[in-house]
Amino acid sequence: MLSEAEALKNSFENFLSLDDILLSHQRLPVRTECAFPRLGFLDRSSDSEDLPEGTKMELPLWLSKGLYERKRRVLSVKLPNVYREGWRTVFTADPNVVNLHKMGPYYYGLGSQMLHFDSPENTDIAQTLLQTFIGRFRRVMDCSQNAYNEDTSSLLERLDCLEKALFQAGQSGLNGFQSWEKGRASQLTASSLVLNYRKRKMADVED
Amino acid sequence: MDPSEVEFLAEKELVKIIPNFSLDKIYLIGGDLGPFNPGLPVDVPLWLALNFKQRQKCRIIPPDWMDVEKLEEIRELEKREEAFTPVPSPYYMELTKLLLNHASDNIPKADEIRTLVKDIWDTRIAKLRLSADSFISQQEAHAKLDNLTLMEINTIREFLLDSLNCMYKLRSNLQPGSSGRTFTDF
Repeated sequence: MLSEAEALKNSFENFLSLDDILLSHQRLPVRTECAFPRLGFLDRSSDSEDLPEGTKMELPLWLSKGLYERKRRVLSVKLPNVYREGWRTVFTADPNVVNLHKMGPYYYGLGSQMLHFDSPENTDIAQTLLQTFIGRFRRVMDCSQNAYNEDTSSLLERLDCLEKALFQAGQSGLNGFQSWEKGRASQLTASSLVLNYRKRKMADVED
Repeated sequence: MDPSEVEFLAEKELVKIIPNFSLDKIYLIGGDLGPFNPGLPVDVPLWLALNFKQRQKCRIIPPDWMDVEKLEEIRELEKREEAFTPVPSPYYMELTKLLLNHASDNIPKADEIRTLVKDIWDTRIAKLRLSADSFISQQEAHAKLDNLTLMEINTIREFLLDSLNCMYKLRSNLQPGSSGRTFTDF
């Protein structure tokens, strides 16, 4: 049922996907476990040329992931607050209340990536991610399947990027059905490009 | 799949018409049709019936189930049952839309029929969403739904498949030994 293009689009980490690229730019708080000679410029607040061991700073995900090693000689990543015990309890209590867009627009994506960093809380984090998704699923489904021709921005602002994509899928199903029912599906309409560029009719060109 | 494609498939359904012209039997690739004699009912596929109707060459007879009392019964049954009840026709939505748009003069109480069919559709779609929600929240491995029509499946297909995909990815995080390792590295 899925074409190859759709299957590729669906894969979580797609090298060329803009969402994934933006996701990997999210910054994580890290602590260096060894000295980084001559890389002092990475940390804006430090004056020295070298980064001593134990510096706390922020690095983007793609860099942290590349530098992280199991033996932890290079850096250790601190779990962002959203994935910690405190917030996890909030999510288990009522996942619908949280504004996932504010919590970092890539809650699910970043959460899945954080599991790379071998924190002892990994299973709990993974469980919470799954349960939050399941808890919010009903809300996303109802909103996307019922909001026809309305302004959906108030509904969308609390959703994270993954949920937004699902919302779009639901909306396209709904819109397709509604426009078919109204008979608009088989009407030919002028392309928006033609209307926007205001192409001249043949008669005008000949004059 | 487009709703238009589903409508295209629905147009193969047979309906009864009463032509006002005469024509010998015609031999088409899909089967034989006719002969057509004025005033005598004959079964033809919907696409042909609509074509004749638009050229004012026939009168369409509504299918048996397209009757106010029968549809009211079906609607009540649908509201009472938790599962999906058998539909009057696997393409009831498309048939209703096409026949009521092109041949409403041949169908008594067309507006009431339109409302009744819409009610039935809304009830079934609500049941479908409920069952999709319980499918996801209980993380079942598979579900079986009887008596669903293609149009209903089509409206929810993209959304449900995408959600199941996301759930699969999140669930594979929980597998020991593969915690994120299956994801491609940058």
